[in-house]
Amino acid sequence: MNHGQQSGEAKHEDDAALTEFLASLMDYTPTVYFPFIPDDLVEHYLAKSGFQCPDVRLIRLVAVATQKFVADVASDALQHCKARPAPVVKDKKQQKDKRLILTMEDLSKALREYGVNVKHPEYFADSPSTGMDPATRDE
Amino acid sequence: MSTERAQDGDRNEAASSSRCSESYEFSHAAAKAAVAQVCESVGYEHFKDPALESLAGFALQYILQLGKTATSFANLTGRSQCNVFDIILALDDLTDNGEEGISSESCSLGRSVKLREIIDYVNSSEEIPFSQPLPRFPVAISDKSRNLIPSFVEIGETPPGKHIPLWLPAFPDPHTYKETPMWIERVSDPRGDKIEQARQRRKAERALLSLQRKLVCKLSSRNTVWGDLDGVKEEMREEESDLRSVSPPISEEKVESLNRDGLSVIEAFAPAMEAARDGFSSEAHTEWKKKKPVALSKLRTEKKFLGQPLDLSLQMKGEDRPLSFVREEDRDDKRRRAEFILRQCMENPVDLNQL
Repeated sequence: MNHGQQSGEAKHEDDAALTEFLASLMDYTPTVYFPFIPDDLVEHYLAKSGFQCPDVRLIRLVAVATQKFVADVASDALQHCKARPAPVVKDKKQQKDKRLILTMEDLSKALREYGVNVKHPEYFADSPSTGMDPATRDE
Repeated sequence: MSTERAQDGDRNEAASSSRCSESYEFSHAAAKAAVAQVCESVGYEHFKDPALESLAGFALQYILQLGKTATSFANLTGRSQCNVFDIILALDDLTDNGEEGISSESCSLGRSVKLREIIDYVNSSEEIPFSQPLPRFPVAISDKSRNLIPSFVEIGETPPGKHIPLWLPAFPDPHTYKETPMWIERVSDPRGDKIEQARQRRKAERALLSLQRKLVCKLSSRNTVWGDLDGVKEEMREEESDLRSVSPPISEEKVESLNRDGLSVIEAFAPAMEAARDGFSSEAHTEWKKKKPVALSKLRTEKKFLGQPLDLSLQMKGEDRPLSFVREEDRDDKRRRAEFILRQCMENPVDLNQL
């Protein structure tokens, strides 16, 4: 009984928080910059997969979820990029990791944690270490 | 901020370089731009194109998966429209929670780890201001054409045919596919036209007859000729103005009839001119000479009228044309004869003067 009551109260709180969160999502309408993925685009792809809902808040929820997913992947890739040893310093002024470029290698490493296997094929297949696991190769 | 502007340029290039012929390509380019902006907010400065494209593809696949899973959850409970709880369940389904899994209580906020993460993310990211404008995606990204064409009910039209339901899009206006004439179609009244034509012809004939009578009178009375030459000219001008006032309201067909009448003037002049040649004195010839320029000018104005019927107007009826051609030949003969006569008259007084 107590547990049931407690869970009931928690549920009320959760529901209130959820509605509050959904309302806060809609507050972003006047600002242009958030979420990054436009509603039209998300709606188009959701309609492609059979998702039908007239409520705009849900579409924003999906947009925010996707944005979070992309941001997570990108931040992981950024960490991989920063963790890589710095290139050969030719000048004393040249700093470490001056260029933060999103490359396929970083992306494949980051996505592997999400269960996605992305392998960018080599352009030149002339070295004996082609096609091997990149962790065992020397860069 | 130059790096950011470079990002903008890269993004715009990516968006514009992709062919927008298909809706897929356009939405893919739009997704690329959005993903690039997200990555930039994370901290990246530059992108490699294949990496960006694959990440955009992943984002789209994420949306599609979410939608598919949420729809299946909704269908499981017998609904066709999705709920917020469907989305929460789908979010949990997509993430690898390990031992937690989906329980009946995971719909709520407290249980859903993923949703909490999302809320935290939203709350954290709104602190960072972004000064770059989001690329403007036109409404055409989704197929809105079905909304542009209103249905029969919205227009208030009844569909042409009982088999067409009211809620279908309306047919386009007939002027978009039918060719309509460019001129104002006047109601043709052939009988009225003929009556009007006859009336104007009679009026012209009357004017010409009166002119002819006056000329003959003036010719017969020689004494009054010199003094009244100006008067004669004035009378002739009056008759001319009469004729001209009659001619403008007349259409081309009626001008033809006028020309016929005009040439009848020449015919009327011809015997008078012969008489003048035979019996009259040189004074009469000089009179004639003075009257001739006026007559000639009249002839020339008639000639101008002759030129007009060649302009094909829409009122020109086909049946009249063969007849008019015949009349044109007659008119040519008569005109040539009249010109010949006039030339002779002009030469003769010269000869007489020489005499």
